[in-house]
Amino acid sequence: MNSRKVQRIDELARDLPPARDLWPGIAAAIEADNVTARAGVPAARRPRWLPAAGMAAAVALVALGVLIGQYTSKQSGIGVVDGGQSVAASAIIPATYRKQRDELLVAVKQKLAGMPPAERDKVAGSLATLQRSIQEIEAALGKDPANALLQELLVNSCQEEMRALTAVRDSGRQET
Amino acid sequence: MTKPDTVVEFDRALIERARRGDSRAFERLYREHVGRLHGLCLRMTRNPDQAADCVQDAFIKAWKALPKFEERASFSTWLHRIAVNTVLEKRRGSVATAEMLVEDPTEYEEPVMVLDTPVEEEELEAAIQSLPQGARDALVLCGVYGYEHSEAASMLGIAVGTCKAQLHRARGLLKERLERGVR
Repeated sequence: MNSRKVQRIDELARDLPPARDLWPGIAAAIEADNVTARAGVPAARRPRWLPAAGMAAAVALVALGVLIGQYTSKQSGIGVVDGGQSVAASAIIPATYRKQRDELLVAVKQKLAGMPPAERDKVAGSLATLQRSIQEIEAALGKDPANALLQELLVNSCQEEMRALTAVRDSGRQET
Repeated sequence: MTKPDTVVEFDRALIERARRGDSRAFERLYREHVGRLHGLCLRMTRNPDQAADCVQDAFIKAWKALPKFEERASFSTWLHRIAVNTVLEKRRGSVATAEMLVEDPTEYEEPVMVLDTPVEEEELEAAIQSLPQGARDALVLCGVYGYEHSEAASMLGIAVGTCKAQLHRARGLLKERLERGVR
């Protein structure tokens, strides 16, 4: 806030931008919401294309799995403390998270056969955006490991990711 | 709380795209409104971390509620309503905040507050921050952001009379604190 003089309350600045960009966290949450909406809508309210989307989503998880695999091998992974940028994130996200995510990926691999590529691309795009947001938060946390808000944001984003992955996995079950 | 027609139309186009699931359109709405929303949350919470948290939650809630947004309404006001609600929810989660106030709304009508002499913006912000919660909320919404008592009362979930009384109280306390100098 600057130090100009004012005589009326309504002369105070209404716009006070936050110190950091809040969009990555919001983007992560809405992408998770998108994935959940595509994959988790109850059958009675689901549009005709959604069954295909649900199955396609499982295919997307393979792509995401590759992406995650590449990322974790580069970054030493969530839950594995290996120095540098990933230390803060590793200290926050437990090893059980990675294990559960791996299990999810295995579960959906079994549903891959016969999925339409168009829906696969849609869901893969959403999941990849979600993953990128998590990476951005981790990168920010690498620079500012003690930032409690970033820590909370990372945990929330990882939870959103798990929710999205679970929704995609379960979407296949709803079809049967 | 009025905006030029071109801005409103621009917002409407973005809202329509965001409603169809275009997150880039929603990001542009975020960029346009985040400063004002953060200013509101910061003044209500007095805590930068909590304010950022509330802003983030408010935008996420807004995204989810976009299908319910009525085009006739102001997007900015709608967003502010969600943000105020988010701040109030977080307060409820921490401490009890009910404040008793004797209402006599007939004598509190003028929403704009003019000070006897100009003061530095920082000094005024500090004085506002020192106000009790209920009085501060009313002053921030009516005095700083220009909402009518009825709109502010609705956002805060209080009676219009209470809002007027809180604003009256805020004016008195603010004047007193500015005169003696707020630390």
